[in-house]
Amino acid sequence: MNNPEPGNLLPQGRPVAFEEIEEALQNAAGETERRLAGTATLVIAGSAERLAEAAAALDQLSDIGVRTVLISYGENPEPPVRVSLHAVAVEGLCAEYLNNAVAALRLSSLPTLVWWRGGATSTLDGLAALADRLVLDAQDPTDVWAQVAALAEKTAISDLRWTRLTRWRALMAHCFDLPDVLAAASRMRSLRVEGADRHTARLFAGWIASMLRWPRGQSYEFREKAGGAPIEAVTLGDGSQELWLHLALTRSCVETSARVHGVDAVSRIVSLGDQGLAALIGEELRIRARDIAFERAVAASKGMR
Amino acid sequence: MSGNPLQDGLRLEPTPGPTTLVIFGATGDLTRRKLLPALYNLSRGQRLPARFSVIGVAREDQGDDRFRDAFRKSLAEFAGIKGADPVADSLAARLYFTGGDFSDRALFERLASKLAEIDGGGVLFYLAIPPTAYQSVIEQLGATGLSKGKSADQWRRIIVEKPFGTDLSTAQELNRIVHKHFDEEQVFRIDHYLGKETVQNLLVFRFGNGMFEPIWNRRYIDHVQITAAETVGVERRAAYYETAGALRDMVQNHLMQLLALVAMEPPIAFSAESVRDRKLDALLAAQPLITDGEGTPNVVRAQYGPGWVAGHEVPAYRGDVGVSPTSTTETYVALRMHLDSWRWAGVPFYLRTGKRMPKRTTEIAIQLRRPPLEIFKRVTPTPVAPNLLIVNVQPDEGISVRFEAKLPGTRMQLAPVMMNFRYGAAFGGPVPEAYETLLLDAMLGDPTLFARHDFVETSWSLITPVHEKWRTEQVSDLPFYEAGEWGPPEADALIARDNRRWRTL
Repeated sequence: MNNPEPGNLLPQGRPVAFEEIEEALQNAAGETERRLAGTATLVIAGSAERLAEAAAALDQLSDIGVRTVLISYGENPEPPVRVSLHAVAVEGLCAEYLNNAVAALRLSSLPTLVWWRGGATSTLDGLAALADRLVLDAQDPTDVWAQVAALAEKTAISDLRWTRLTRWRALMAHCFDLPDVLAAASRMRSLRVEGADRHTARLFAGWIASMLRWPRGQSYEFREKAGGAPIEAVTLGDGSQELWLHLALTRSCVETSARVHGVDAVSRIVSLGDQGLAALIGEELRIRARDIAFERAVAASKGMR
Repeated sequence: MSGNPLQDGLRLEPTPGPTTLVIFGATGDLTRRKLLPALYNLSRGQRLPARFSVIGVAREDQGDDRFRDAFRKSLAEFAGIKGADPVADSLAARLYFTGGDFSDRALFERLASKLAEIDGGGVLFYLAIPPTAYQSVIEQLGATGLSKGKSADQWRRIIVEKPFGTDLSTAQELNRIVHKHFDEEQVFRIDHYLGKETVQNLLVFRFGNGMFEPIWNRRYIDHVQITAAETVGVERRAAYYETAGALRDMVQNHLMQLLALVAMEPPIAFSAESVRDRKLDALLAAQPLITDGEGTPNVVRAQYGPGWVAGHEVPAYRGDVGVSPTSTTETYVALRMHLDSWRWAGVPFYLRTGKRMPKRTTEIAIQLRRPPLEIFKRVTPTPVAPNLLIVNVQPDEGISVRFEAKLPGTRMQLAPVMMNFRYGAAFGGPVPEAYETLLLDAMLGDPTLFARHDFVETSWSLITPVHEKWRTEQVSDLPFYEAGEWGPPEADALIARDNRRWRTL
């Protein structure tokens, strides 16, 4: 692995030695009148390429009192470090020292959230021991999802794909608040998800299967829509009992409709909310508790294609 | 399936079951400025149920389309939503309108037909109308059977806006009328102060932390100041304000609620009845504001004269549009209250509220006692400032603590410093408007943040004797203050009597 050019992750930051990070942060805070209450440490770990995208989202998180620590993987035991007002970037760190860096840089007495953007899964055990919450965000989550049950014994665990499903799940659940839909739920035994991301769709299917206690092998179909949103549409049931959620033309809203006994029960359009990286990780920062529904969804999604 | 199996583990907070909101006063200011934008924001946040409708009711019959237009205009003006918006369009399609006279039974029969047609589950009636119309509407809702649902899913609730009565007897009478047709658990008396984050946070601050409650008593607290200051005058509310005044408009509801939240004992659980029981206890411990005989006064009232506020010259209250030139309505009131309880004996609570003050701010300031021994008096010529805990209710919601620290340097010098927690800075994201929180709570049937009948009546029982005394006083007794100042000298004298002073805000 090549070490990236230093300064890519936090170009506005100033270079400092690792042992001078705390002092540099104090000095940076002293130069501004904006003093924020500390609320958490957010550690973002991943390859330099994947961290650049995350770093761009961090500007939007700078107003919420979070110390952000960006650590990109490399082979350097003494990597270059840059510091700005609330952020630290460590570029090209040896994976074996990842835990040490997190242990040194996290704010004590406040929650630490690790946003793991992929890499060697061998680092996760150590990170889970240091983190109050581990948010997975690998491009291909197959291997890491296989470890979710074990990691969940050490820390609260989630996945950014799961965060993207928050509103979709709520919309589906709202349909079940309708007495006629709830009464027909046991007859809705098939699920079709359309979208660009097979893994997100599979997670949604796992959630439905675990919550509705579907036996393994229940009808689930994924239809790929390359270039679209991770999820474009969801259809639960078919024919006369059917719930249909789909992205509206605006792409920022979801249209929901329910059909029970062949009759339209409800139809409405609601906002999908901000699906940007900053908003998604911001949502994860507000959650402290273990997410059992996620763990069950991952378990139930095993074997789904 | 019995319950909704998909609700478990949802990250978004629970949403109500199918609901229809019926707004009486659908063409009024409150509906346009607050209620319709709040409904839109709730819809955007996916907090409204899948089956949700609004029926607007007003005297003039404007039809569904005009009501929907008014909804869009309200969003443009008060929520910044202009142009096409699919969420607004979807919500607008579920807005209906019925017009007629509130005393006409036919209006309520039409309303009943509309509700049956919508088949929307629970029904929440919102009285956004002048108090003079409350009785007609409540009686008609009862007479037409609309106040009672046929099943648990078809619940019926009613939100009543302030003012809830104008004195103790009218509040009791209104409660009697309401209870003729609605059980107390169906009644939600709204006080929008209780929907503010900081006010709710006061409960978390006191009862979710171990460090504050041990000092939250007469041993450590010197006194409490609660201030609600406005820069505005009466604006378009002169007709109402002339008959209300600051004591009815602000103290009886908002300030008494804040007082109760500060003074209440810990509830045994965070449940509506437990919290409201303890708040009532706090108010029941309040000593009468008007004492028999020649005791020192505990209340000061005043009215603003001409002056200068926020860079503008402003007229006197008596010069405002719609105000009588000889009006004796108070635009400012300051109170000194004592709670006769084990926790608060000897700790005065000073309350003040006024219009045309220099700054718009609402805060609760809890001043602690000084240290028992002033060991630094040889190095600090002035006494150390007492510790202060400030709860900012608006506009900048948060909590601050003032304590003494050593000034850096070779000499021992002390200086007060503030440690600030601000909602906007700590958690980011928008803070929901109070009406969003309260509307949703009413749909969910959670009355924790609403006033119970006995609290309202107890509050009036403290306030009514003050009004009765004022009625006997001469007009020439009314003090005045210059607009843009912090009240009259008499208010300073009220607190100075106890060797204390109002905080400079």
